[in-house]
Amino acid sequence: MIQFLKKTFGGGSEAPATIGPRGRIEIKGICRQYPGADKPAMLDVNLTIEPGEFVVIVGPSGCGKSTLLSMVAGLAKPDKGQVFLDGKLITSPGPDRAMVFQEHGLFPWLTVSENVEFGLKMAGVHPDERRSASKKALELVHLSAHADKFIHQLSGGMRQRVAIARCLVMDPAVLLMDEPFAALDAQTRTMLHEQMQELYVEMKKTVIFVTHSVAEAVRLADRIIVMHANPGRVRRDFRLNLPHPRDFDASDVAYYMKTVRKEIDDEVNAQAGAARRLSEGVGNYEI
Amino acid sequence: MRSENFKRGLQVTLVWLLILALWEGAYRLFEWRCYVFPAPSHVLDSLLHLLGIKTWFGDPFWAVDAAGKSQAFVMNPNWPCHGQGLQVSGAIWNSELPAAVGTSLLRLLLGFSISVVLGLLIGLAMFRFKFVDALLGPVFLGLQTLPSVCWVPLAVLALGINETGILFVTVMGSFFSIAITLRDGLRQTPTIYRSAGLVFGAHGIRFYTQVMLPAGLPALASSLRSGFSFAWRSLMGGELIFVLKQHGVGHLLAVGREFGDVGQVVGVMFIMVLIGMAADRFLFAPLEKKVQSRFGLGQ
Repeated sequence: MIQFLKKTFGGGSEAPATIGPRGRIEIKGICRQYPGADKPAMLDVNLTIEPGEFVVIVGPSGCGKSTLLSMVAGLAKPDKGQVFLDGKLITSPGPDRAMVFQEHGLFPWLTVSENVEFGLKMAGVHPDERRSASKKALELVHLSAHADKFIHQLSGGMRQRVAIARCLVMDPAVLLMDEPFAALDAQTRTMLHEQMQELYVEMKKTVIFVTHSVAEAVRLADRIIVMHANPGRVRRDFRLNLPHPRDFDASDVAYYMKTVRKEIDDEVNAQAGAARRLSEGVGNYEI
Repeated sequence: MRSENFKRGLQVTLVWLLILALWEGAYRLFEWRCYVFPAPSHVLDSLLHLLGIKTWFGDPFWAVDAAGKSQAFVMNPNWPCHGQGLQVSGAIWNSELPAAVGTSLLRLLLGFSISVVLGLLIGLAMFRFKFVDALLGPVFLGLQTLPSVCWVPLAVLALGINETGILFVTVMGSFFSIAITLRDGLRQTPTIYRSAGLVFGAHGIRFYTQVMLPAGLPALASSLRSGFSFAWRSLMGGELIFVLKQHGVGHLLAVGREFGDVGQVVGVMFIMVLIGMAADRFLFAPLEKKVQSRFGLGQ
């Protein structure tokens, strides 16, 4: 049923480089300075993400985590440094890097299925193929019944699922998610976390997920990158050895989560303390 | 809900009828100077006259004696038709008013079309190119505040008293506003549509036709709506002053003033309001509403 998603798979790091899995991201020495600012916004950010990894980037506002994601997407350019996808330098947006935006970014003038098909339409895919692809993708996010609705007729959670389906049909090498669930209520968010897990297990794509929420990071990630601000740089790199899909209530998972979360919280609190001392900037974290 | 609306509508209508009746009654009882301000019946009389129908509506009650002669002041001394009932001369559609409305609408259509094309092109250019905006933005903003009738003297001197002159006034009165409204509207469209379009592979022309154009639809709809009302006002102002072979609605207003026919003056004003409102209500408001509801706005 999801053959079109299984064209590629991730995981096996010992695969030969030539025909290896897609979705290896290398971020090398990224610097960024806004004109007029005395300090750089990002300073020498380095990160390598292996194919099929689910990487969550957490950090306070202004640490450049969303900007980093935009650079991978090709929407923003670093002042210094480069981003590579499977060894190729990223210079502009491309269909191999699909993105879910914070405020869905769906087109209100198109129906749900037309939104999902948009990327394929731009790529010149035949309408029949587009239709069957969007049908499958909407099935995956459990929205088949809403294919002909307009975006404003959907709830916030449904909109984000459409946004995810719009990425899935592209069969991208990397899925980029910029605080996709930040604007949703807690219940919807938990439901989407569960769905996200299912999808990830099925498609095994590289996912880069940016969030404010440490809890969200621990639920979803194979790897958590903690960034800090002033200037933005990578602070810690946690690896979670927990299988997907995770039962958020299972005792070992809960224990693991607790310890990892404590470590991150300490890291974050240390930063928040520093930030508070710096500019009374508290409350960047939602825990 | 519906019956409540109906009830409210009925109340409003009744109160307006009462006001008109009081107004009419005051005129007839106290001999208001009808050449200064008309009674409702004068307005109706003038409008019907413009349609080629002669009536006795404009006369005071006691003005007509048995022999059909006026005794009191008669509103329209040129139309002695007392005691003869309605007189219809010729086909109504060939009479003055429909002809004038037709002429004006034709001019409006032409002028507004030119305004739309110019306004959209320049508005888009101002949005897209910072230099064009820096060059034209402040000038357009300034010229937009100029009342459209102020273009008439220039039109007369530069182009002469002809259709081109009147077209010039109509276009000048509306296209600055279309350009500025479009630019401002486009500036307010969320940048996320742009990003999403780029990420999902919209390039070149298709980026504009598939993303920017639909994203700018609300801006486009409101700029057309305000542009139309500017064009209509400018045209009426122009026609009031330009005397051309083809009489427009504005010309009828000028004629009313020249003949001291205040009934015609108010009647023609009423027609102007009616046309402007009808276009807004049946053309531009539904367009704007449709776009907004598609975008999930204004609900």
